[in-house]
Amino acid sequence: MNDMRHVERTVRVDTTKITARDVQVFYGDTHAIRNVSVDIPDKTVTAFIGPSGCGKSTFLRCLNRMNDTISVARVEGRIEIDGEDIYDRRVDPVQLRAKVGMVFQKPNPFPKSIYDNVAYGPRIHGLARDRADLDGIVEKALRRAALWAEVKDRLSAAGTGLSGGQQQRLCIARAVATSPEVLLMDEPCSALDPIATDQVENLIHELRENYSVVIVTHSMSQASRVSQKTAYFHLGELVEYGETGQIFTNPQDERTENYITGRIG
Amino acid sequence: MTDATAPGAVPSGAGQGSLLARDTRTAKRNAAEGRFKIYGLVAVCIGIAALIVLLTSILTSGLSAFRQTTIDMQVTLDEERLDPSGARDYDEMARVTTFGYAPLLRDGLQATIAAAGIEADLDPGDAMDLISDESIAQLRNRVLDNPDLVGQTIDLTVLASGRIDGFYKGRVSYASAELDSNVSPEQLRLAEALEERGALRTGLDWRFLTAPDASDTRPEAAGLGVAILGSAYMMLIVLVLALPIGVAASIYLEEFAPQNRWTDLIEVNISNLAAVPSIVFGILGLAIFINFAGLPQSAPIVGGLVLTLMTLPTIIIATRAALKAVPPSIRDAALGLGASKMQSVFHHVLPLAMPGILTGTIIGLAQALGETAPLLLIGMVAFVREYPDTPLDGGFFDPATALPVQVFNWTQRSDPAFVERASGAIIVLLAFLLLMNLTAVFLRRRFERRW
Ligand SMILES: Nc1ncnc2c1ncn2[C@@H]1O[C@H](COP(=O)(O)OP(=O)(O)OP(=O)(O)O)[C@@H](O)[C@H]1O
Ligand SMILES: [Mg+2]
Repeated sequence: MNDMRHVERTVRVDTTKITARDVQVFYGDTHAIRNVSVDIPDKTVTAFIGPSGCGKSTFLRCLNRMNDTISVARVEGRIEIDGEDIYDRRVDPVQLRAKVGMVFQKPNPFPKSIYDNVAYGPRIHGLARDRADLDGIVEKALRRAALWAEVKDRLSAAGTGLSGGQQQRLCIARAVATSPEVLLMDEPCSALDPIATDQVENLIHELRENYSVVIVTHSMSQASRVSQKTAYFHLGELVEYGETGQIFTNPQDERTENYITGRIG
Repeated sequence: MTDATAPGAVPSGAGQGSLLARDTRTAKRNAAEGRFKIYGLVAVCIGIAALIVLLTSILTSGLSAFRQTTIDMQVTLDEERLDPSGARDYDEMARVTTFGYAPLLRDGLQATIAAAGIEADLDPGDAMDLISDESIAQLRNRVLDNPDLVGQTIDLTVLASGRIDGFYKGRVSYASAELDSNVSPEQLRLAEALEERGALRTGLDWRFLTAPDASDTRPEAAGLGVAILGSAYMMLIVLVLALPIGVAASIYLEEFAPQNRWTDLIEVNISNLAAVPSIVFGILGLAIFINFAGLPQSAPIVGGLVLTLMTLPTIIIATRAALKAVPPSIRDAALGLGASKMQSVFHHVLPLAMPGILTGTIIGLAQALGETAPLLLIGMVAFVREYPDTPLDGGFFDPATALPVQVFNWTQRSDPAFVERASGAIIVLLAFLLLMNLTAVFLRRRFERRW
């Protein structure tokens, strides 16, 4: 937790990528997200932390409208990306999701080959001109997800045949391959060993150059290592949001303080 | 950390004492498990025994349908009788009925008997009863098709009559022949003499699979040709209609349709349709396809449509189950990458559901293949001797029968030789079912690439 190695705390507060205002999410009668308003800047890593069941994944799924696929889920409020309301009737969620990539909490590779897993996104979006181009995209994505060395000799093997941590990195590679502008990562390192975690964290740093990354994590040290901004969720509410350094050293809210000092959750 | 249970909280009793001695609970559980295994084994054994009894009874009475007793002879096709005008004109020759051909065969048989040196105390007419009436008609057809044969002496292998055939298949004996007005012991003796000289044989004969049905008095000539074609046509129609409609409906209901009262209603209705007795579909087919739409009776198209209606619920239920079994995380993964719903279904969900869909389809087809009741209602039980045309020439609209209906039909007939024919037809039906199931297994293997 005190490992604050290579974090740039300076946030270039130039542009806001995502704006959320008074977001409410209901699962049937359950009020899972209450009144969340947040501004997520571009080219930064934002960490969502909070106890289990507090709605981190739910809020993350609002940002690429994955909640649309849950029939009981209802989203209210306003979420803008680059100033455009993503819940506008004219917005096609399919187009939105190509722009806002996602790595899920549980690794979910397709039951296809490793190559096809990574190549799927570029294929459906027509990102590769030819086979060699696609090969290049796949290799680059796998390298960035720190998986290339392990799978380069068996790209045609099944993606589901990898270990849990490898599968998670495969999913990261798959999401990165479509070059989204925003990458949502739901506990991407929960199944990874410290070495792979380190590699993924390096990837996140690298992605920050071009993208805006939102990461959900249960590891406080990871949040402090990789993020510039941190949001603390508690029972569906956004309790505190600010510079990561400030949240971890000088939390304003008692609940945040209790959580990061390990007294709850 | 906080929820780690303190050692003292472990309930005492379980897990205490030596592991080498089995405690009473474990012994009880093991006994229950042992009993359950025995029940299961008994159930399986009963099932296998029933299956073995069924198969042996069908095979013992039906396999002989694939063997046929035939007589070799030489027949002189006398021009005087067959084409008095000598013009080889079809219409002219067609005037000569089977009565005109019978004497030729009779003379041929007498010549064969004489050549073999058999002293038969039978008059030529009684000896002629060894030959199936069907053979006379077959000879006539052959001559009408090749008028050039007239005037020649040809080698002919003719079907023996049903009783003689039965003699070699153990249905007829000298004792039963004494009491039978259709066959006499002398005729059996003549048959045996001919067999000794090699003129009469019982051997494998595939005509059972290719010949059309024959009349009540000619069981030896009855075959499954028309029934197999009819069944094949109907299966083709069912496959072509039910598979795409069923799969499309299931995909829509499972992946696209909103969850509301209407879809609930449709779902309940589909489940109920699967349980509707098949004869009701027959009445429906009669009312809609024949009386209302005016399609011909006894035609494979009507049978195929009725069976399609019957098979659809089975396919839809199986397909929906297969789609439901695909983990939602796969759909999320595809959608999360920006795939459209349709892409996620066709690229990821459908391939995973394919084995289940195929199994359901083949089970539905197998059901349809064995279905009898609805076909009776739409007239497929008629006596059909003409082969339907190829599908391209409108064969779907020609009269035909179907395998299970043929079984039903033959079991209704009085001559005991038809028991053999019906059992033979059942064997063919079972062989087709086996083939379909093997296809299902094969396709499943192909699609179920283990990842
Ligand atoms: N599909 C769903 N249907 C109904 N309720 C749901 C659904 N998904 C989540 N919830 C509820 O919404 C609340 C927030 O869940 P969410 O998954 O967002 O938590 P989380 O913060 O991601 O937790 P964790 O850290 O354990 O992943 C929980 O109370 C959960 O029960
Ligand atoms: Mg979560």
